[in-house]
Amino acid sequence: MTVGAFALVGSGASVARAALARDAARTRWAELEAQRAATGARAKVAGGTGWAAAPGSPVARLLIPRLGLDEVVVEGVGDDALRAGPGHMTGSVLPGEPGNSVISAHRDRHFRPLGGLVVGDTVITEIGTGRVRWVVSRIRVMTADAPALHTTATPVLTLTTCWPIRYFGSAPDRLIAEAVPTL
Amino acid sequence: MKRITRAALVALAGLGAARAEGQITTVVAQPKRVEANAQAVARRQEVAQDSVARVTLTGMKQWVDSAAQSLALRPDTGTAPSETAVPATTAVPQRTDTPTAASARPAQTPEFRDGARAPDTATQLPMLALGGAVLLLTGLVLRRRDPARARVRVRG
Repeated sequence: MTVGAFALVGSGASVARAALARDAARTRWAELEAQRAATGARAKVAGGTGWAAAPGSPVARLLIPRLGLDEVVVEGVGDDALRAGPGHMTGSVLPGEPGNSVISAHRDRHFRPLGGLVVGDTVITEIGTGRVRWVVSRIRVMTADAPALHTTATPVLTLTTCWPIRYFGSAPDRLIAEAVPTL
Repeated sequence: MKRITRAALVALAGLGAARAEGQITTVVAQPKRVEANAQAVARRQEVAQDSVARVTLTGMKQWVDSAAQSLALRPDTGTAPSETAVPATTAVPQRTDTPTAASARPAQTPEFRDGARAPDTATQLPMLALGGAVLLLTGLVLRRRDPARARVRVRG
């Protein structure tokens, strides 16, 4: 019973920390949006196509209206970053720019609604420079080791999370949803 | 109380066993040495002989080279430079993937590149929550099943 209580308290604490980090990310994003400082805080990587931003700092906002998903995307896909919100994979472009922009999140937290995503759904991203509407064009389930992410010449938004969404233990597969900008 | 303690211990052992499988391994019997058949023995001897012959040849080459140097003769290295004997002191390239080197490397978060895998977003949180709930419920059930003892314990 004691062990069970500890396990529950531990998982509860983890969820609480995630909620706090998420709130902090939202607050920070609101500040950035108000000051129009998001673009100034980023610096283009010399000689590359990616962006450099401090890990954990908010870089975009992600909305999927049909699923009621509204999250602030933070830089990086490390443990700390993913606790606060969906993470923008370092080295990929920002949503809306030419290339593949990869955003990942935990299936049991921010990307739980992604289980209901279907081809044709509308996704909206906001970065400091503007707002882009996307339409989901392809959804795949791949094994964790499969090379799932590729560079592209045109703007592509890739959302990834673990699959199956409802699974106890370390989920063996990955859900890869790709979206293209609507004209 | 004893029952609860026993149940907690059993639960702990059950949980711990999954994590530390290697630590509760019993005596591992040495694999029996199976004598190879005559053909295998013959082959092994043949290989050993080959290595001896190779060693001898290498030594011969070194000896010839050293003899040529001592006689101030220029060995004809222009035609077959690769045949020059490699000195025994040639440094063996160091492996960079040693445990020390790996531990010294900072923990890296995955970065995007062509053909990259999707980030590891798997967590053990649902499993932890479920395990905790099951254990807690089991504990509560065990307590309820013996209310008399619990009452005595409260009085004592």
